[in-house]
Amino acid sequence: MTRPGLLKPAVQPSPLQSLVADSNLLSKQSHLPSLHSLALQLQHNLQYQHSWTDLHVHTHSPVTNEPLPRPLLSGLPPQRLYIHPDEQIELLKNADRERKARKAGDKDTLEVKAEPEREWVLPTRLSEKWTLHRLADVFNGISKIPPEHASSGAEEERAVNPWRTKKRVVLATVDTDSTVVYYIVHDGVVKPRQN
Amino acid sequence: MAPDPTPVTEPFPISHIAGRYLLFDINAISHARRHHNICGVLIGTLPNLSQQNVFLGIPLELMPEEARVLVERGHAYIVDDVRAHRKGCLEMSRDERLKYLREMDRQGLEFAKGVREKAEERAERALREKGLVGRRGKEESEAPQESADAEGVSTSNSLLDSTPSTSPSVAVPEKKLEPHFITPTTSYPPLSPPSTDAALPLPSVPKSYPLFRYLNSRGYFAMPGLRFGCNYSVYPGDPLRFHSHFLATGLDWDEEFELLDIVGGGRLGTGVKKAYLIGGEDPEATPAEEEEQDGASAKPVRAFSIEWAGF
Repeated sequence: MTRPGLLKPAVQPSPLQSLVADSNLLSKQSHLPSLHSLALQLQHNLQYQHSWTDLHVHTHSPVTNEPLPRPLLSGLPPQRLYIHPDEQIELLKNADRERKARKAGDKDTLEVKAEPEREWVLPTRLSEKWTLHRLADVFNGISKIPPEHASSGAEEERAVNPWRTKKRVVLATVDTDSTVVYYIVHDGVVKPRQN
Repeated sequence: MAPDPTPVTEPFPISHIAGRYLLFDINAISHARRHHNICGVLIGTLPNLSQQNVFLGIPLELMPEEARVLVERGHAYIVDDVRAHRKGCLEMSRDERLKYLREMDRQGLEFAKGVREKAEERAERALREKGLVGRRGKEESEAPQESADAEGVSTSNSLLDSTPSTSPSVAVPEKKLEPHFITPTTSYPPLSPPSTDAALPLPSVPKSYPLFRYLNSRGYFAMPGLRFGCNYSVYPGDPLRFHSHFLATGLDWDEEFELLDIVGGGRLGTGVKKAYLIGGEDPEATPAEEEEQDGASAKPVRAFSIEWAGF
């Protein structure tokens, strides 16, 4: 039995499914379609579940202009994602100084100001196997801070954080049930945060 | 840091016995810890009553990695201790043996004397705190006066009422001092220290060795990582003073690992305020400047620290 093409499909594809299947976004031939759709799936997750903004897919390295091992994402989280323990000490000291400087009548709370920073995101699937070699290749292809895009020109004068001395990516691992976990990976020996 | 009590001449011997790398000399142990960031694990305990606690004694067992780092940097050498002992003891002359035994007796007597003096001191201090007597040892000749004193005080002390005979006039004859039996922890002397010519080759090490060497060269201390399911738990300073910073696992450059291991290690590490560290030797890279002390053969090591992102 043949179905006329006008008939609606029995189940409407979800927005995510149609996004991933969008041929316009997949038209770039630099990487396998599976890696592209993985990046798009995580972009969707970051944008709608974690309220990230300024998300972009990078297929080529901003350092060497060679194709990256796989498409990476960059974006701006709603809050600061990572504070180095030494920076945290300094921020706390500053906040304490400001609290003491305020008049006694004002609210007496410690306000730590840490502006959000743009982050690299490395999309992976849980079923994949990785090696140190591949991880090193990813780090070799990226800059310390993701490049600014023309569309986000308004915030160009954001000061560079002097504590951000080592490359880092957010390792996003997605399982087959579309659960995503996020881990911060630093390039080098970086002491842990004291949460 | 307190000054070194007894300097150790490098290279110092590491005993290789039944596949283990052991240090028996307390000075070498503290030297390795102080100057080379090598902790090892103290394993001295009662035979068949081994227990897991922090009160174990010498010998100190070194991981093969620790022994190898010490040997590669020229701080130590490996000795086949069984052979060295058999050879040394068989070649020892009768005179030397007697001399050594006499020396042990002398040390034992000295030790026993020290113990008795300490005991007397303690007793005297305790008595003085109770206000009973002053210098006990000196007053054996003035016994009558002292006993009067003692009685005078004892009236106020119900405990001593029943025993007014504390008078030392009934002086116990001084016991003949028995020398303590000393068990030396090292056998050099009497044996002359084994020569470095007979040193064994470098210890064979697991594939995590490059990461260990790299962390050690950067001043980190490493302890066995079994408790956290990794190769090493890595401390930024002496483990007695610091909490560990990293759970380190060493891998080959092209060895495949599951992402689940990264997630598990990262989550566990963050849960205990540590970072999960993976690293290995990059065979293609040229030696970097920070590795110069290991010689040209050592390839640079690349490490990645993993923490939970928190969202």
